[in-house]
Amino acid sequence: MSRLQNLVPSFARRSAAPDTTEATVRPWYEIKETPEAWGLTVYLPGVGKDGLEITAEEGVITVRGRRQWKAPAGWTALYRESPDAAYELALTHDNTINVEKIHAELVDGVLRASLPKAEAIKPRKIAVS
Amino acid sequence: MRSLIRYTHPRSSLLPSFGFSSPVPWTGLENDIDRWFESTLSDFLSPALENRFPVDLYEDKENTYVRADLPGVDRKEINLEMVNGYLTISATRKTKGPEGEESFALSRSVAIPEDVHADQVSAAYENGVLTVTLPKQEEAKPRKITVEVK
Repeated sequence: MSRLQNLVPSFARRSAAPDTTEATVRPWYEIKETPEAWGLTVYLPGVGKDGLEITAEEGVITVRGRRQWKAPAGWTALYRESPDAAYELALTHDNTINVEKIHAELVDGVLRASLPKAEAIKPRKIAVS
Repeated sequence: MRSLIRYTHPRSSLLPSFGFSSPVPWTGLENDIDRWFESTLSDFLSPALENRFPVDLYEDKENTYVRADLPGVDRKEINLEMVNGYLTISATRKTKGPEGEESFALSRSVAIPEDVHADQVSAAYENGVLTVTLPKQEEAKPRKITVEVK
């Protein structure tokens, strides 16, 4: 193999995207807006609290969920439709969210998160004198 | 056909992040392309919320198992029916929207490959996944028969 790599240099080169990232599925989600906040609903069947991870980085909110259930020994899959891959949803925003006050709850495989708007962009009534 | 007219998202809204971010002259085109792919692939990739929720079928020696992804459904709103070798799962998802309660009916029938004790079917719901256990009838279980050869 090394001789071949010497002959054809491109063989020695690593592929452009190293295949270290795991395949993920984007879950079904909804976003609703109120004057105070954005309401995010993400459907994550099979994901429990321990398998869920929400991160808020600069301008990106990422939801990662892993199905915790594994087929017990002795079970044979006859037919599969549900994916085994982990869920991943990345939402970009332009820092108009008050990240400190994000509130999220996971009930029966549904994540409901409230992303409060930053004070600066909330509608404000201006009194006319 | 979901959208014929290109819709440019307002900057303040939450957008799913795509690989492109640089302001290129054809801004919007890659979003269009992503959206075409999404609308075509979403049927495969996004299992929730469609009328047809994803279903898995398993078996072991004793039972046949059906697992269904039904996130966000009240246990009382799940109905199971076993008729002529078909298990029908129907459920109603109720969500509180700004215009009051919204309800969404889901239903799916699955052919059960073997005869089961319809009266001993049990079900459990955890993390939005329903697991139905259907005990196989004696005849369907593999039976060991010893034949004496004379």
